[in-house]
Amino acid sequence: MSAEAAALDQWYVIGSLRDFPQGASTRRLLGTDLVVTRNGESFAASAGRPLPVRTEYGHVWTSLGAPARPVFELPEILETDRRSIYCGAVTVRASGLRLVENFLDLAHFPYVHTEILGTESKPEVAKYEVEQRRDVDELWATKCEFFQPKAAAASDEGQISQYMYRVVSPFNVMLYKTPPTAPNRWDVIALFIQPVEPDLSIAHPFMLVIDDTSTDAELIGFQQMIFLQDKIVLENQRPRLLPLQPGRETPTRADLSSVLYRRWLKEKALTYGTEERTDRVA
Amino acid sequence: MWVPIALSRDIPRGVTRAVHLDGQELVIWRGEAGSAQVWEDRCPHRGMRLSLGFVRGNSLNCLYHGWEYGAGGSCAKIPAHPDLTVPPTIKANALSSAETGGLILVDLARTAGPPPVFLAGRPIASLAIMSDIGTVLALAGGLPEAGVQAVETELDGVRLTIGWHVPGPGKLMLHVVAIDPGNVESRALVALHRLRAQAEAGVAA
Repeated sequence: MSAEAAALDQWYVIGSLRDFPQGASTRRLLGTDLVVTRNGESFAASAGRPLPVRTEYGHVWTSLGAPARPVFELPEILETDRRSIYCGAVTVRASGLRLVENFLDLAHFPYVHTEILGTESKPEVAKYEVEQRRDVDELWATKCEFFQPKAAAASDEGQISQYMYRVVSPFNVMLYKTPPTAPNRWDVIALFIQPVEPDLSIAHPFMLVIDDTSTDAELIGFQQMIFLQDKIVLENQRPRLLPLQPGRETPTRADLSSVLYRRWLKEKALTYGTEERTDRVA
Repeated sequence: MWVPIALSRDIPRGVTRAVHLDGQELVIWRGEAGSAQVWEDRCPHRGMRLSLGFVRGNSLNCLYHGWEYGAGGSCAKIPAHPDLTVPPTIKANALSSAETGGLILVDLARTAGPPPVFLAGRPIASLAIMSDIGTVLALAGGLPEAGVQAVETELDGVRLTIGWHVPGPGKLMLHVVAIDPGNVESRALVALHRLRAQAEAGVAA
């Protein structure tokens, strides 16, 4: 399957800066092989032709098309008391769009991250708000909250965590969450997804957190534990591609953000990583 | 046609088992009430394979969000919405299945009519063979059973029912039950392993 304009004209992470050795190395994006050349701190990428490159938020970004906008804003990167944590690249045998939906999902916490991000005795997802911000072309879910036995590496007791979710492009998403140690601020956890094939993705989780106590290893270990729990689910969803056809899956009120996300993908005519539809003439 | 997909013995209460049938993913599970259920291995909510779920009492719960399904596939509970009466349209895809003589059978097309009835046999083994059923039957002989994908035959003096299903291309799963009473397991197993070796060698040649 070759990628369509809606997928090509986007910025994608292809690794964190530290992942690239000096000289040439290879990557794969949207079914296309890339050569990335690092010379000191400057990066170039090509796919038989030169590609645009940006280095933002500790990562290398490129595009196979012509993005209409710059890489999205992440103003928290400028707050000097935050720690930037690179959690490592994780390969997942699933559509990147499935990864985004799972990232947006609160209802799985008690079952997939049992006694960590949720507990079976408190599974209810309270009503939250979703909106499409047309000026910046982003999706937001706000006023989300969930009881969490161990919300973060630094937690020593349960808390009701507040969450906001922000989808900045079809394959890039982040959440804002109350840190255990600074209830008036937001931790930022981003998931930058490199779609390798329609049903194969590399996830690059990245955090900007307020935490004076945990070591880097503790923060990374916590995030990796969570992500590996998600990977088990993600690799066992059928189909591996995201279905956009009505009736293929069954959303409930807790899936409001996923419903909005799917509608937004359809509006963009994004098909890379989606299941082929049989309900309309091509 | 009724297709054997597992031995009853191998699916005790409280267990789920994933089975591939002609490339389709199925789940077999058994609750406390004791009857085996065969469903499409897919939660209708977000497509999660139900074989990774967990059995509690008489329900199968999806690993992803804990959606609870009872016998017949009806969803009884969506934990994210504890007060919701789940609409009856939310169902797992329960397939037409039956259990007889120590075999669990499925009829994907729902065209096979009432399930056959076998006398209780002695379960021997489910055995994966990298071959095709023509090769196996040429070696094992036997008479086809009516309406079910199985033959009755005799190997090394043990009378057996050999059922089978095709998980995918080039693969075969036999489900074997001894009809004879008495202590015949080890003799039957030796005969089956020899059958497998011969069938796989035949395909190679």
